[in-house]
Amino acid sequence: MLLVAGSIAATAALVLAYLAAGGSSYAPAQVQDPCQEREWRDPEGLQQLAEQFSLSALDGAACELGVSRETLARALATPESRERFTRRYGIEDSQLARAIRAGLLRAVVDAEEAGALNPLIAAPLRETLRRIPLEQAIELIDDAEVLLDQLQTFLGPAQGLLEQFLP
Amino acid sequence: MTVASRPRVAALALAVGLVLADSSIVVLALPEIYRELDTSVAGVTWVLISFNLVMALVAVPAAHLARRFGPGRTGAVGLAVFAGASLACGLSAELGTLIAARCVQALGGAAAVTAALELLPAATGSERRAVALWAAAGATGAALGPAVGGLLTELVSWQSIFLFQVPVAIVAGAPILAIARHEAETGILAAELRSTGRPHLLANLALAMVSAAIAAALFLLVLLLIEGWRLTPIGAAVVVSVMPLAAFFGSRIGPQVAGTRARAAAGAILVSGGLGGLALLPKAEVALTLPPQLLIGVGLSLVLSALTETALAGRAPQAIHGGWTISARHAGVVIGLLAVTPIFTADIAEQRRDAIDAGTAVVLDSPVSPLLKLELAQRIEDQLDDERGRVPTIGPAFEPLPDDPEERGEVVQLRDELQEQLNRGATHAFSPSFGLGALIGLLALIPIGLARRVDL
Repeated sequence: MLLVAGSIAATAALVLAYLAAGGSSYAPAQVQDPCQEREWRDPEGLQQLAEQFSLSALDGAACELGVSRETLARALATPESRERFTRRYGIEDSQLARAIRAGLLRAVVDAEEAGALNPLIAAPLRETLRRIPLEQAIELIDDAEVLLDQLQTFLGPAQGLLEQFLP
Repeated sequence: MTVASRPRVAALALAVGLVLADSSIVVLALPEIYRELDTSVAGVTWVLISFNLVMALVAVPAAHLARRFGPGRTGAVGLAVFAGASLACGLSAELGTLIAARCVQALGGAAAVTAALELLPAATGSERRAVALWAAAGATGAALGPAVGGLLTELVSWQSIFLFQVPVAIVAGAPILAIARHEAETGILAAELRSTGRPHLLANLALAMVSAAIAAALFLLVLLLIEGWRLTPIGAAVVVSVMPLAAFFGSRIGPQVAGTRARAAAGAILVSGGLGGLALLPKAEVALTLPPQLLIGVGLSLVLSALTETALAGRAPQAIHGGWTISARHAGVVIGLLAVTPIFTADIAEQRRDAIDAGTAVVLDSPVSPLLKLELAQRIEDQLDDERGRVPTIGPAFEPLPDDPEERGEVVQLRDELQEQLNRGATHAFSPSFGLGALIGLLALIPIGLARRVDL
């Protein structure tokens, strides 16, 4: 019986020690649901605003497609990964385009709500985004700085005012 | 045991150890075979399953053959078949051929192992000593198998595991061949013993369940070390050698402190406890696998020898009842592998996805520049493609590191955080399968407990 009791004690000690050290929760961090709001960090300058804008757009597009933001980010990394993604999830290019446009529009709303984008800029920006082709939309999600540069062009004579509306 | 009989005893023990090592010797080579023969995890598992399945099916018929045609002759022919099939395994270039050769290996091996049990009492001068030696040789072989296989895979190749067995089988077979000649000359086959009873169902059932748990432990731990944590086969061999060392320790102390039932119960508890520890690893660190391995090693030596002795005690012919224990052990290994493989393969695919998602989130939320993020995302995607569904090593995707010291620091931190997520995913993927192994080991306490009152 001593041997059996010793075995039970050794087993209990090991299992309890590993549980106490976090053994039951050692798993990859769970990614956030893209449909939920994500906190905006205070952007300092155009580059950081563009980055926050891209992340928000990714969230919006991923929410529309029912995938994680991270899956979509990897899918948009190269044309090959995009093709694999659309094949795997059975998504048409038109659906992807709609989702990305929806994502970009959500980014504008998020930026507006976070006080990072003035409503005077947000309105024409939304109009631009609604008409944007898929390839260009993907480029914008990759690097929203391009979008903000294009916005300057779109605003034409008023572009000088842009810097005043950006934080 | 006389001085003259020592080489014969050594040869018989070597034959038993060699054959029973084969149920686990390829475990560390599986990742290598998996890559070289371009198969799936489920496919490569059959290199293990086929051998154990055939052993389970033919052990008892092989024991009858040994009784009918003589253990010397059966043992010699069995070892010759085993050696020939080992050569065929070593020369296999396709998974199908390898699996077929493994089946033939098991046919020969079953004949050799059961014949050895019939020959050992005469060679050792005591039936009890013969059973203890036979059980110990089998347990030692099974425990040493993965470490030897890992060393050979790393130093030479996976094929060398099988080619190495050919000369060993010939060395073990030479004294057995002399017995076969003696049988042919004298016409004396097996000792005429009256059959005493049916197989010990409860002991054999417990043996099968414990073997399932041990097989799950070995198979999963090796895959975790090599495929999950990216150790080399030789590194993994060193790590898993803790189990045979602990088993050796357990075999020395066990019989001195308790009877067979207490040893069996304590062993099953320790094996389950060790598997429970592996299911609850709090970090992806090799050192943390050592305490669970100690428990499993000591436990397996206690429970396998105790249950084998119980199954054979007072029963004759020994070869037939020994055949039943071999059959139970290998059936248990098959059940263990079949039970954990689908859970494990599904979990690793899911955890890999979760880990990659978590890692991508780290990249997206990191302070590195968007253009660098995009570049890293592309490199990580390429790295994942190269790894063909395995848990990837993410380091190469971050090479070369940026020149700017600040950016370099950020990228290194990012790489480490991403690898941590992958390690978490790899480790967590094995938890449910280790947990299932622990449960099977615990359930073995039921037949062990019942055997206390009822002796079938």
